[in-house]
Amino acid sequence: MTSAPNDVASLHNRLKEQSVFLSNYATQLLACGATTVRIEKNVSRIASAWNSHAEFSIFPSHIILNLWDEERTQSYSSIGRIKAGSVNFAIVNDLSRLATDVEERHYDIELARHYYEKSIIRPRMNRWLLLVLVGFANASFCYLFGGDWIAMAIVWFATVDGFFLKQRLSQYGWDFRAVTIVSACVSAIISCLGYAYGISSTPEVALATSVLFLVPGIPYGNAVNDMINGHYLCSLSRLAQAVTITVCLSVGLCLALLLTNINM
Amino acid sequence: MINMTDILLDGFFAAIAGVGFASISNPPRKALAVCALLSALGHATRFCMMNYAGAHLAFASLAGAVMIGVLAVPFARRIECPVEACALPSLLPMVPGMYAYRSVQALILCLQGSEETIFMHNLYLLSYNVLNCLFTILLMGVGASIPTFVMRKR
Repeated sequence: MTSAPNDVASLHNRLKEQSVFLSNYATQLLACGATTVRIEKNVSRIASAWNSHAEFSIFPSHIILNLWDEERTQSYSSIGRIKAGSVNFAIVNDLSRLATDVEERHYDIELARHYYEKSIIRPRMNRWLLLVLVGFANASFCYLFGGDWIAMAIVWFATVDGFFLKQRLSQYGWDFRAVTIVSACVSAIISCLGYAYGISSTPEVALATSVLFLVPGIPYGNAVNDMINGHYLCSLSRLAQAVTITVCLSVGLCLALLLTNINM
Repeated sequence: MINMTDILLDGFFAAIAGVGFASISNPPRKALAVCALLSALGHATRFCMMNYAGAHLAFASLAGAVMIGVLAVPFARRIECPVEACALPSLLPMVPGMYAYRSVQALILCLQGSEETIFMHNLYLLSYNVLNCLFTILLMGVGASIPTFVMRKR
């Protein structure tokens, strides 16, 4: 009988550690652009491998996670703030593999925490390479909309400049909305070259394409996916964020059109 | 008359666009190759639907997105990586950018114009472009997501 309070205390401690880990895990996955289907699946796999049951709900900036022990006699709740940061599918991939490993290789919480910490500091793709790739991507986009070769070259330059500015300003800690407006404006002004010098037969396509590298496609896709999955609140908050960025890039484009006084 | 060069060029540039835009979301390297392939197939599907079957942009995009979604599930399973990391970036080359641009353009013209007929014409342009853009994006998202829900392992 004397050991009963100790048992409860250790059970509670175990639940607490697991709950804090899972809350960190879920908020990180959400910030990195995982769909709610995946987060639900991964969290419940880890929880059941550790002999507990997890339930959580996703709010615009927090996740509330509750963890029960196997017999549902004790529980622990934690509220985790959704991490800041941009979409990063390499981390989603690593963290999903971690869930599989916890289930199949019976990782304990120490080991899981070790791999978690290792996954989230993985370096991103080289930024200069990324810059060039995004330039070519947007130039190809210009082709798909019917732009000619000169328009594609203009879009390449405009995109590289705008994306470089975006990388730098984000590094300096600027607000993402301000970064979007400034990058869109600069890209659009540069792509007005086609109009200014009359060197392209499709200057309109160049101008329209130049800002499209800023379109938040992944949050839009995730919003639809979460909507189908029934996580309406999460879907709407992702949609609101994506719409905010889209509005900011439109504002940047409008500013550029007004500044250059292009005759529409 | 079906022109293979046009279809291949369309797929090729869609693949470059897919890889470039996917890189922004930092996918695992193996997923990048899948993104290239799926972007090309998805966009070429849309291209064929629009040019040879006379389909509307939104429904052609739906067909392209379903193509991407259906193929993304087995490919993602094969390379052991999340489905969304393969499917969502591959959709990006299909974003209806010209419609989005023309919407913004029409909005500015609406705000500038004062005469009724000119204003109504610009309002028409605005609603036409916005509706097309929104429906295309919505159908793209739905088309790529449905297969991942249907083909999910229980």
